[in-house]
Amino acid sequence: MDLIRPSFPSNMIENSVRRAPLRKRYWRCFVCNDIHYGIAPPELCPTCKVLDAYVEISADEARKFLGGGPDTPMAWEDFRAAIGRFAAGREFEVNPDAAKVDLLLTGIFENEKNHGLKFCPCRLRTKVPKEDFRLVCPCNFTIHETYKGVPDGECWCGLFVRRK
Amino acid sequence: MAKLLMFHGRECPHCKKMMPLVEKLEQETSVRFEKLEIWHDEKNADLMRSYREDLAPKCGQQLRVPTFFDPETKDALCGEVDYDRLKGWALRQG
Repeated sequence: MDLIRPSFPSNMIENSVRRAPLRKRYWRCFVCNDIHYGIAPPELCPTCKVLDAYVEISADEARKFLGGGPDTPMAWEDFRAAIGRFAAGREFEVNPDAAKVDLLLTGIFENEKNHGLKFCPCRLRTKVPKEDFRLVCPCNFTIHETYKGVPDGECWCGLFVRRK
Repeated sequence: MAKLLMFHGRECPHCKKMMPLVEKLEQETSVRFEKLEIWHDEKNADLMRSYREDLAPKCGQQLRVPTFFDPETKDALCGEVDYDRLKGWALRQG
C-alpha cells in the first residue's frame, strides 16, 4: 500500500512534541479517527497508513471517540486468540499446559468482572492505579526476575513461558 | 507454634500446586496455616496489603501469591517452592 502524506508540514507534530513535557497525552488520527495514548503519536497510522496524521486532543474528546468503539466485553476465546497472536514468532509462547492456561484465564476474567481490569491472578493490586496498571495481563514480564535471564523463564503467573 | 498465614488466589496455579504440600506439612508437623484467599475476599486482600512493607522486599517488590507469612517474625516466603523449603521455612518461625 502506498503511504499517504497529509498536506500540512511534516515537522508540525515533531515540533509540538519537542515543546511539550514528557507526559502521556491523547492523539487522534485526522483521517480515520484512531486514538493513540502516549508521549508521542505514531509516525504512521497503523489503520489508514497515513504519515504524520495524529493531532493532540483532550482526554474528554478521546473518551468520546473511544466510546464509539465496540461496547461488548472481549470474549474469553477472543482474548485467548489475542495472546496467541501477541506471542507468535517471539521468544516466548502461551504456556502449552492448557489446564493451567484455562485456570489463569478464568482468574483474569474474574478479576476484570470484579475489579475492572484483567489483573494477574498471581499478584494483588495495591489500589494505587499507576502501580496496578502494571498488573494487567499481559504485563511487562520480560523484565521480571522470573523471566529475564532465566532459561526456562515464565511470567509471574506462568501464562507465558520462554519458547523451547 | 503460632499460626502462620498463607495468602493465595483461587485461580493462581502456583497456589493450587502448593496446597497439597501445605496440607502434607500440617499433617506431619504442628505447623498450621490460616489460608486467606485474596482475589475474592477483600478483607483478606486488605490484610495482605497491610503487611506490604514486610512482604514486598521479600517478594520482588510485589504482593504475590502464594505468600507464606509469619505476622510475629515478619518473615515471608513467596512463590512456588518445594516441600523441604516450605517445611524448613515454617519450622524456623515462632
